[in-house]
Amino acid sequence: MNAIEVTKLSKTYPGGVAAVKGIDFAVAAGEVFGLLGPNGAGKSTTVGMLTTTIEPSSGSARLAGFDVAEEPLDARRVSSVVFQDPVVDRSLTGRRNLEIHARLWGVEPREAEGWIIELAATFGLADLIDRPAGTYSGGQRRRLEIARALVSHPRVLFLDEPTVGLDPRIRAELLEVIAGLRSRSELTVLLTTHYLEEAERLCDRVAIIHAGRIVALDTPAALLAGLGRQLVELRVDGSVSSALAALRDRGVAGEDAFAVGSRVTVPLHGHSSSEAIAAIHDLGLAGAISAREPTLDDVYLRLTGDSLAAAA
Amino acid sequence: MSTAEIAIPAPTRRPRALGPLATLARRRFQLTARTPRELFVPLLTPIMFALVIAPALKTALHTSASYESFVAIGTVGLLIPLNTMFSGLSVIVDRISGAQPELLTAPIPRGLLVIGNLLVALAITALQVGVLIAVAVARGIHFHATGTGVLWFVAAGVLFTVGMYGLAEILAGRVPRQEEYIARVPAIAILPWFLAGALFPIVALPSFLTWVAKFLPLTHGLALMRYGLLQDSTGLHAIWGLSDPTAMAALSLAVIGGFALLLTAASIRVFSRSAVR
Repeated sequence: MNAIEVTKLSKTYPGGVAAVKGIDFAVAAGEVFGLLGPNGAGKSTTVGMLTTTIEPSSGSARLAGFDVAEEPLDARRVSSVVFQDPVVDRSLTGRRNLEIHARLWGVEPREAEGWIIELAATFGLADLIDRPAGTYSGGQRRRLEIARALVSHPRVLFLDEPTVGLDPRIRAELLEVIAGLRSRSELTVLLTTHYLEEAERLCDRVAIIHAGRIVALDTPAALLAGLGRQLVELRVDGSVSSALAALRDRGVAGEDAFAVGSRVTVPLHGHSSSEAIAAIHDLGLAGAISAREPTLDDVYLRLTGDSLAAAA
Repeated sequence: MSTAEIAIPAPTRRPRALGPLATLARRRFQLTARTPRELFVPLLTPIMFALVIAPALKTALHTSASYESFVAIGTVGLLIPLNTMFSGLSVIVDRISGAQPELLTAPIPRGLLVIGNLLVALAITALQVGVLIAVAVARGIHFHATGTGVLWFVAAGVLFTVGMYGLAEILAGRVPRQEEYIARVPAIAILPWFLAGALFPIVALPSFLTWVAKFLPLTHGLALMRYGLLQDSTGLHAIWGLSDPTAMAALSLAVIGGFALLLTAASIRVFSRSAVR
């Protein structure tokens, strides 16, 4: 049985804003699944529907077999969320925040006590756990929230943009923590992010979501493989469509070459980068040319016409 | 900090029915206890009325000592709305900067969050009313309570508090920001107090307002509390015009009970609906 099953799920908010438009995906138990897309793509709305805080307009979703609309209490019992914004009781201690979660999710007090100690040690909170959460730094608070989400032994963990707003050092530290969750075969993680390297590093599979629709879904490696092992990027003065046509006529570019603004990206399938650059020079096309390995941003760019980094 | 590599223990159990409610109430109480303004600020105005304004009015208006008792009960009718409205304010704080989003994903009926908050509002109100009565007694204000009278008083106080807390939850669910909430408090907590016979009998109002007062739950609450603690049924008589005080008390209790039931049900509904977008 899949841990998460989403079928034709849609959400249109009052006022007619269609945030999610009939998406389908399934996440296997133990998988780390990424929803990758810029702000406004529909990631948080999708998580909201899966965590029963947003009512779907149509379609269905199941967590560990429980329908989120028909069996919301059961669906919530098997899942936990780490929210995009900090969500803690600041005046209560870290321990009390964890205890409240444990009680509400039905963990026996004695069991919770030991588990909280273990989690606090694992997440580097042992020295802070009896301090008010309001005194924690941003990174410490994030770690507390992840520890809290794990107190109830969830089968599905939602991490909604967990590293947004954190400085690079704390972000790197937190990515390590999240990467550590992968070792837990029982835990299924749905991670939303607009950071490409997070998706590449952490996720078994990634769904790229754009304007409420999933435009690609595969492993990061497979998504990248679609663009070959290398690509050439050039800036064009003049018509990019003419430039693309010329590159295709010359056999340098295939159908998967694409242009955004004045930037043309050419995945290389049968040529080396030096051959491609030489051909581009022969055509007299470019002012600036570079060759590099493809990234998920290129995948996103090709599928949507927008740069993920710029859109975020 | 080490990388998180943890084996998951046994799967989660189903929570017992009262466990989550006790957890929610305890959480709310702990949050409130760390915000002293929620405990003490609502007390200031009623105590000032009971200890300063009422004796001054007694002297200025050449009334008897019983007027102090009359106003002391009247100030309970100010204390309860002020305290419950303060409690409602904390719901907005919880929503904006607290852990409410997390609680909404807990495997419990969302109405329990309202009930948990209500229990704490009730406990704090009981404490404050107790302090107010104790201060009034210490100031030399006399009450003539019997065991049955205290029951009438407690029932009226509890039901009115429940109803007012429901109103506070509804308002908190309807307005997005604290500023907007606070702007509405005087109309809900203070205006009815002037019409409900807190400082003078409702028959002293213009006849139209006397009729309006008869429909206010606070009027019934104050009349019932005075009947309980002062053995004074004139307030009940002004509402119902009957000769049997017990029957009138029962009718007013039914009114406040209906008020409490209706607004609690509405507040749970509003909260549960506003929790889902």
